[in-house]
Amino acid sequence: MIGERLVSGIGASALRITQEVGGIVVLTGQVLRALVPPRIDGRELVKNLHKMGNRSVPIVALTAFFAGALMMLQAGPFVKKFGATSLAGWGAGYAVLREIGPILIALMFSGRVGANNTAELSTMTVTEQLDGLRALAIDPVKFLVVPRVIAMMVMLVALTVIGDLVALAGATLVGRVMLGIDWSTMYYSFADNLTPYDFLHGVYKSIAFGAAIAMSSCYFGVTVRGGAVGVGKAVNAAVVAAAVSIMLLDFFLTYLTG
Amino acid sequence: MTVAGFLTTRITALGAAVLAATRAGVELWLVYVSTIAGIVRGFSRKNRRNRGELARQLHAVGNKSLVFIIVTLGFIGMVMTYQACLQLGRVTGDYSQVGSQFLRLIVSDFGPTLTGLMLATRVGAGIAAEIGSMKVTEQIDALRMSGVLPIDHLIVPRFVACVVMTLALSVIGSLVMYGAGGLTAQYSFGVNPHTFYDLSFIRPRHVVLMVVKALAYGAAIPIVAGFCGLRARGSSEGVGWATTAAVIGGSFAVIVLDFIISAAALFVTGGDL
Amino acid sequence: MTTAPLVGGDATIRFVDVRKRYGRRVVLDGISLEVARGGRLGLIGPAATGKSVLCKLACGLEEPDGGTIQVLAESVVGRREADLGPLRRRIGMLFQNYALFDFLTVEQNVAFPLEQRGGMTADAIAERVAERLRAVGLAGSERKLTAELSGGMKKRVGIARATVADAELVIYDEPSAGLDPVTTQKIYDLLAADQERTRATVLAVSSDVVALARFVDEIAFLYHGKITYRGPAATIADAPDPLVRQFVRGDLEGPLEERGAEAAT
Repeated sequence: MIGERLVSGIGASALRITQEVGGIVVLTGQVLRALVPPRIDGRELVKNLHKMGNRSVPIVALTAFFAGALMMLQAGPFVKKFGATSLAGWGAGYAVLREIGPILIALMFSGRVGANNTAELSTMTVTEQLDGLRALAIDPVKFLVVPRVIAMMVMLVALTVIGDLVALAGATLVGRVMLGIDWSTMYYSFADNLTPYDFLHGVYKSIAFGAAIAMSSCYFGVTVRGGAVGVGKAVNAAVVAAAVSIMLLDFFLTYLTG
Repeated sequence: MTVAGFLTTRITALGAAVLAATRAGVELWLVYVSTIAGIVRGFSRKNRRNRGELARQLHAVGNKSLVFIIVTLGFIGMVMTYQACLQLGRVTGDYSQVGSQFLRLIVSDFGPTLTGLMLATRVGAGIAAEIGSMKVTEQIDALRMSGVLPIDHLIVPRFVACVVMTLALSVIGSLVMYGAGGLTAQYSFGVNPHTFYDLSFIRPRHVVLMVVKALAYGAAIPIVAGFCGLRARGSSEGVGWATTAAVIGGSFAVIVLDFIISAAALFVTGGDL
Repeated sequence: MTTAPLVGGDATIRFVDVRKRYGRRVVLDGISLEVARGGRLGLIGPAATGKSVLCKLACGLEEPDGGTIQVLAESVVGRREADLGPLRRRIGMLFQNYALFDFLTVEQNVAFPLEQRGGMTADAIAERVAERLRAVGLAGSERKLTAELSGGMKKRVGIARATVADAELVIYDEPSAGLDPVTTQKIYDLLAADQERTRATVLAVSSDVVALARFVDEIAFLYHGKITYRGPAATIADAPDPLVRQFVRGDLEGPLEERGAEAAT
């Protein structure tokens, strides 16, 4: 009895997940097709770039600062134990640039921009504004989804670049204040041990993260059903899907390029 | 616009923002205090209905997040081990310390913190969406009309469930991370499992740190999310806003708490963590 | 501007100079209003004039910015949420958008006020709920979730919930909004029958003046944040106040001014 319910429960979730993944793939296809020939509503794009990028700088910068600071705190015990001050920047910098920075920034971006975007699109959907666009012979994917996807991908990359720098600053500050490592020691520790490739590794992953966040947030936004309750559920589903996609993509991209 | 005029509008805007933030902070604090008071009241009054609600919330927070936590923490455990081994291989080629140091990091930081971040997304958004929908459809007012305190009825069970389940899921997530890391080290870098699964570096203080962090995140997430839900206004866009704010607020609370607790631990132990 | 005629000390609802604003928008600008015990007052007025706000103020769901409000001989202003519980349990409220609990079935929704009030056995509650659901014509839908119901059915569940605890004061916020004329008449017959039985005081807000006038004794007109008229319901279409006449008859020409089209809360 319990086994039966468990199996049918797993089956039902599997079906639902398959349906959602399928839906996201179909929407991605529509977005790609809308890009050939590349005709994008410029005003909508600029508006979204501003809204998604500029207004996210404070939260991303704060997150990145704490990410860098945290990694330095974790490196702290090694520094104290082995006196390896010159290597502190190596450990913290490497972790921040390649993993923690891009992932934390992407998660925050998903919460700030992805969730907001889902809320906005789903509100438009439940108030029948998308049907209104269709009635005017305007393709909602071309008009609403494409500019948002492009804006999110561009802006996550830009924010990751900014965030990386802020994170290194955060690491340096904590190293100086809490672990007593000189500014110059820290600088050389970064400069000697980190390669441009470490930095690029994080940045190119953020392109994929941006695409994943954009697609899941738009998908759940345009497929929402049922008023205010539906909007809340859509936002919830979008951020969860984005978080899972970020982790999976991170894994595969790391393996592919390792 | 003149320079003075520009400055005046900027300063006015800044003042308004500070005022709004202060008011929000006070309200958040009131939600927290009322929740604690609600727990105390709940203990002194035997209420069967609330116990059923608590069981439902434990299920919603814990069981329904289990797969999510296992998948996300499992994958990140693999990636972290991979990156660490890659870097070590480039420099020394000595993998003997990878497992034990990784475990130390998981227990004292990554395990509870990544679990907390994931729960802020999954559970925080869920709580805010639920309570926000109830707020804009006047269900909260209907509760109040029956003489029910919304915080006791809605936030207290979610708070208790979150505190318990964040701790439980942190333990599970840490185990999954460690296990997945060990498999990666073994299959991609040929590290002997006996070398990797080495518990000798773990000390009681690391476990204490994990418990403290998990409890702090478990308390912060439902309070922030419930606060955002109760502040929802308007209709569907209000719920959307509340859910978004809960994800951001919850994640940020986890990161800041992590920093505070880690820094305090480093300070207390004199760097010998 | 005239204020409401005083009805002595036996008032169930007494508003004195109540003010409420949201941001810069003044919603209620010095309202004074009394409803005698057992009286039935209808409240009408253009959209977004604060009729719903007035209902919520009466239960202490919102705090006024000024003035005093007494309901069932208790003040509701400036009291802590926990202290208002016992008073609110004596008030029945039908919300504009039903406000049914979507996590409960129809039956559980109606039973909720009784369970929270306590002092009744489970059997007694079940019997009372079944009786109420029969009265509103929803027998057979007990175990449905509220999401499965139509608008008219939700309204009737809301009425059953508002009246289940034999409240001394019942507030109906738009009992007939969005319903067809036949259902509207059925709903009002139901409300009237219930009031005959319990002799509860009633405050009813509606935009459907004709149907409302058949249910209540008196009608008050809320306009620009003030009660500008109050008079017997039967002759409301011939009221001496030209504003009220125009509003009730739906004339396009007249002294009524449109106000900023902001949504009511």
